[in-house]
Amino acid sequence: MENTTHFGFKDVATQDKQGMVRSVFDSVANKYDLMNDVLSFGAHRLWKHYTIATSNVKAGDKVLDIAGGTGDLARAFAMKVGDTGQVVLSDINAAMLGEGRKNLINRGVPGVAFVQLSGEQIPFSDNTFDCVSIAFGLRNVTDKDQCIGEMYRVLKPGGCLLILEFSKTDIALLEKFYDFYSFNVMPQLGKIIANDEESYQYLAESIRKHPDQETLKQMVLDAGFGTCEYHNLSGGIVALHKGIKV
Amino acid sequence: MQSMILQSALNHLLEAHQIDIRPLDGKTVYFSLQDLPIAVNFICTNDRIFVTTDATINADVDIKLKSNVFLKLIQGEDLTELLRQDKIMIHGDVKTAQLLVDLLQQVEFDFEEALSKFTGDIVAHQVGKIAKKFKSSDNSLASIKDKITNFLITPKRFH
Ligand SMILES: C[S@@+](CC[C@H](N)C(=O)[O-])C[C@H]1O[C@@H](n2cnc3c(N)ncnc32)[C@H](O)[C@@H]1O
Repeated sequence: MENTTHFGFKDVATQDKQGMVRSVFDSVANKYDLMNDVLSFGAHRLWKHYTIATSNVKAGDKVLDIAGGTGDLARAFAMKVGDTGQVVLSDINAAMLGEGRKNLINRGVPGVAFVQLSGEQIPFSDNTFDCVSIAFGLRNVTDKDQCIGEMYRVLKPGGCLLILEFSKTDIALLEKFYDFYSFNVMPQLGKIIANDEESYQYLAESIRKHPDQETLKQMVLDAGFGTCEYHNLSGGIVALHKGIKV
Repeated sequence: MQSMILQSALNHLLEAHQIDIRPLDGKTVYFSLQDLPIAVNFICTNDRIFVTTDATINADVDIKLKSNVFLKLIQGEDLTELLRQDKIMIHGDVKTAQLLVDLLQQVEFDFEEALSKFTGDIVAHQVGKIAKKFKSSDNSLASIKDKITNFLITPKRFH
């Protein structure tokens, strides 16, 4: 089929995917943080902590978080860049961005700008940011190469790209457990806690359709990054790809 | 994980002592140990140093040495002396290599411990003990600063 893409395990018209992803996140927005903690047993906090630690972001830097949702990374980056730096929390989805804004304001985090945008068309000039991050967002983007290309464009020379995303584990036993958990437990928990089985079924499926570590690394290099390395976390269930614009 | 910790430690050093690394800007230095499966790139860009293990990048300077020589170097042994003794191979600009070595000699990072992950604790400890014998007596922070100044990496506050 031409002009189709995947939405979880389904093939859908390319132009429809963005709207379908939007409905998923409209639906999960107000329970997103709770579900994240429950579904990952809190591990997402450690994965994000590792991402921040490896970012090499320092005081005075400009950081853009794409698909930033409820603002976990933006909050941590804001602490690192301090008063002299700037963090932009962005997301395509108004409901998720609204939750992010609420979270950051409630926690008294200053100096963060909120921008609704798609990672496929970033409305900032070339060479603007010292670091651009996207956590658990890339698999939802329709044209991933376009998104990585845009992140490359807005990074300064020497800037750092961070992609935190579910990936492929090569530990057979872990894979079995993970498959069972994703397709049986996750949607059921989604039903019980968020009254939304379908969205969590999509989230589980979209993880399986996402490129594996080596494929994603090649995509980052193809976008122009001079170097890209990845670190597997939790046995490869999650991987952090780090590209540098050199 | 080790490279991430070393990266944090190096950049902390740069910030804490306001070290200007412009002379290293745009340079990538590749360190590989001949007897252990360890190879690391130091990418100096955007006023900071990234430590990566990715092999795709072309380095400006390529440094090859054995792990015991590496520990001696880190603990203060003279780079040119090691070069003269053929204990270290450098392809590329020696001055750039020296600048990075100056930084590695000061960074708060336990290289011995990091190597032990590859060699087993006992071997690394022995290698470390040998290296300590060579540790130069003038390796204090003050003299390191002098050394750095000599090698163009000048602490910003002296400007
Ligand atoms: C699983 S959430 C991740 C939120 C946050 N980064 C985190 O790690 O908790 C995925 C986010 O990607 C956003 N998203 C999906 N497609 C996008 C696109 N094309 N551009 C920007 N954001 C997008 C969704 O709205 C959603 O907020």
